Amino acid sequence: MTPVEIAIVALAAGGVFFAVVAAVGVLRLPDLYTRSHAASKSDTLGAVLTLGAAALAFGTDVPTAKTVLLLLFMFLTNPTAAHAISRAAYDQGIEPWTTEEEGKP
Amino acid sequence: MSELSPLVSDVLVGAAGAFAVLAVVVLYRVARGPTMQDRVIAVNVIGSNTVVIIALLAAAFGEPGFLDVALIYALLNFLMSIAISKFTVERGGII
Amino acid sequence: MSGPPSARILVPVGESITLRNTVAYAVREAATRAEAEGAATVHFAYPVTGRVADQAGLEEPRALLERVEVWARDDLGDEADASNVAFETAVRAADEYLFSPADYARTLNEYAEEQGLDRVIIDPEYTPAGSAPMVQPLEYELERSGLTVEEAPVERPTRRARLVRGGGLAKFASVFGASYLFYLAIGGFAGTFDFVTGAFSAAVTAALLSQISLSDAPDTRTPVRLLRFLVYAPFLLWEIAKANVTMAYVVLHPSLPIDPKIERFEAAVWGDLPVMTLANSITLTPGTLTVDVIDREFHVHSLTRSSREDLLAGALERAVRFVYYGRDAMAIASPEERRAEVDDE
Repeated sequence: MTPVEIAIVALAAGGVFFAVVAAVGVLRLPDLYTRSHAASKSDTLGAVLTLGAAALAFGTDVPTAKTVLLLLFMFLTNPTAAHAISRAAYDQGIEPWTTEEEGKP
Repeated sequence: MSELSPLVSDVLVGAAGAFAVLAVVVLYRVARGPTMQDRVIAVNVIGSNTVVIIALLAAAFGEPGFLDVALIYALLNFLMSIAISKFTVERGGII
Repeated sequence: MSGPPSARILVPVGESITLRNTVAYAVREAATRAEAEGAATVHFAYPVTGRVADQAGLEEPRALLERVEVWARDDLGDEADASNVAFETAVRAADEYLFSPADYARTLNEYAEEQGLDRVIIDPEYTPAGSAPMVQPLEYELERSGLTVEEAPVERPTRRARLVRGGGLAKFASVFGASYLFYLAIGGFAGTFDFVTGAFSAAVTAALLSQISLSDAPDTRTPVRLLRFLVYAPFLLWEIAKANVTMAYVVLHPSLPIDPKIERFEAAVWGDLPVMTLANSITLTPGTLTVDVIDREFHVHSLTRSSREDLLAGALERAVRFVYYGRDAMAIASPEERRAEVDDE
């Protein structure tokens, strides 16, 4: 295996790992705000790493440029979308879930 | 186009498969809710997974044309989230 | 203007991006006059726009005035005749509504008469009534009542967008360039046909949308900001990497160790673009998600307590200020310190 191939495999593996984290987070976390944490961060990184792998696999050419464009786009839009959704929820007055113990320092 | 070794191509297809499985798993959150925003978040995650799947398949099969599909899908996915958030908010301006 | 400028100066105070520099200018002026005449006074007056029912409503003007005084003392520290310059602050018109520039002028004028002030230094970005232009009519009204009025010669870091404004060509060029590049990237830089059709569609796009998609025309500061952004990007990437390791740990931990809470704080960044950058950066970094931004008040949902502490320590905010305003702006206190200052009252 060439170094590039190793990098591709490593990036893809990392991407899948963070996508798993995102999926588990979306299923497991208690309310929509915490879930959108998972959606905005882990999923973005998962997607970005995997797209990086795809970009490397294309070699250096127009497709790589396109993949990088896609990557940047995901990077910008995912947090924005998460923000828009949670803001909509916040405006509707959905209270965030908190741990039971109150009155922390 | 560089030629990918079969192994790398397999890895990419495998990763695409993993993303597909994750998208199906996240469908549970879409079905379950409970609020509309939960569903939107889940659909958004599925959407970005789809974009990644398309890009991975494009790389694995050496079909750069798929990338345009992925780009448009990413645009639509973002628009979907923004549009739905917008519909649920009374006051103007969402971002 | 006849004779030397007076040493009794009035400065109207309101939230504005150039307030800091205006204060610095007023203090410099006062110090110069103090040298010549032996003493000088600067009054900082905050005309409150709305009617204030209770003490809570006065907190914001008071906090601002206090900040102004701290700045003023700070600036004065450099001057020789520090002891000869006096500062006063006042909140005015808390019991009435101010609608027009004339109302503001009346309030300021009353105050000037009361305190025997005859020179007004106005912050060029002074817009207490929201986005309505204020400085010119205010200057006119004040001058009519016999005060000497001058605008503080400060640089304006950003400007609120009016609906239609200049810079049309620069906007057109940047939207055109961006669309053209995008078109060519999608098309794969393939031949004359693409170059021609690309130029055509980019021109149509830019003609239709350049006034909408950019609120500020790119200017000489833009390249500098882009460069600084390149410095910022690795920092942000590092923060993102940390964020995701934390997220992965928290999410995969069997007992789900989270402690979510919504935190509100007033960010020390000004203008739409910096606020947007900060909001997006916060969303991408350790366990924090910007839920809402109202003017400059950020509502940030944080997942764990440590992420909350990181947020309030303000490293990100500082970095964003660096990108937009340069290194000097990094010295502003962190949200936590600012909050402590307010609590000390």
